[in-house]
Amino acid sequence: MTDTLLGRPVQGLVTRDTPVGHTLVGVKKKAAIQLMGSRLWGRFNPNHWDPVYAAQTGLAAPIQTGEMSSAYIAEMCVNHFGANFLRGARVVCKYVGSTLANEVITTHGVVREKTPKGNGYRFTVDVWAENEAGDKKTVGWVEVDVGV
Amino acid sequence: MTENKTLPATDALMPMTEIQVRQVRDFVDSLAEESQTYWDMVAIGDELSRELHITPELVILYADAVEDYNPWYEGWKMNTWKIPGESPFGPAVVPPLLVSHFVLSVQFDHTKPFAVGSIHTFHDSEILEPIPVGATVRITTRAIDKFIKRERRYVRHEVHVTDVTSGRLYFREVRDILSL
Repeated sequence: MTDTLLGRPVQGLVTRDTPVGHTLVGVKKKAAIQLMGSRLWGRFNPNHWDPVYAAQTGLAAPIQTGEMSSAYIAEMCVNHFGANFLRGARVVCKYVGSTLANEVITTHGVVREKTPKGNGYRFTVDVWAENEAGDKKTVGWVEVDVGV
Repeated sequence: MTENKTLPATDALMPMTEIQVRQVRDFVDSLAEESQTYWDMVAIGDELSRELHITPELVILYADAVEDYNPWYEGWKMNTWKIPGESPFGPAVVPPLLVSHFVLSVQFDHTKPFAVGSIHTFHDSEILEPIPVGATVRITTRAIDKFIKRERRYVRHEVHVTDVTSGRLYFREVRDILSL
């Protein structure tokens, strides 16, 4: 894929020929307390940034909002599917574990299925986000049209 | 700094002076309000709706906090400030799940105290069309189910995000909130 815009491949890295079983390279982020407690994300709820309040509610540490890990998964998907992920795509995420402050989270994806559609395929990709110990925090799948 | 033998310090995770610690404690105390649980706050069929102007600055705030530096989302740039930006769809577009983040502000009635103990657990989102940076959208949420699973209480909403000018449907979602 050679067509790029501002340094990013317009159609991403996945093509019609990408096989089932293909592994997506994810993105890696640290659950930084300063970001977790920013006004736009978790400031309204101290469980997302205040260790005292979090402990009082039984948490081992402040927890990141699940939507932050969904955003990480979306970033991985835009890297791999480019503009295709911004039209006619589907993202299903279940938050199965809390992301604690200072954990390092990596997103993953594996192509599970390709369903013929138009001139291309609708890809189904299993996605998840996990910490460095391999504990899954978010699991789900995405569907994206490629070459349709 | 330790406020209580059994609790972590306010500055356990980020450095602060005593003035900052006091400001944090005052702020946290100010959030304490009597509120209903989300389960009690919502009835099936409840519909809430608000408009959101997705300014270039709002997009930058969102993207910076998740460290997503894709230039396709940039309708604002330091030194230049507002710019049309560039994306595969023309001008800059909104990150794919930005509007999903703002659904929370609609499905929780913002005129009432926040329902403490609520946790977002699931979303099934359809990104139907790219949203141009600068668009004003209407986010509409409707409570479609309340259910108990493994002794936990959940409230399910369906969500529609449309352009206020053209009526174009940009985004659709089903999402669950776990309630106390």
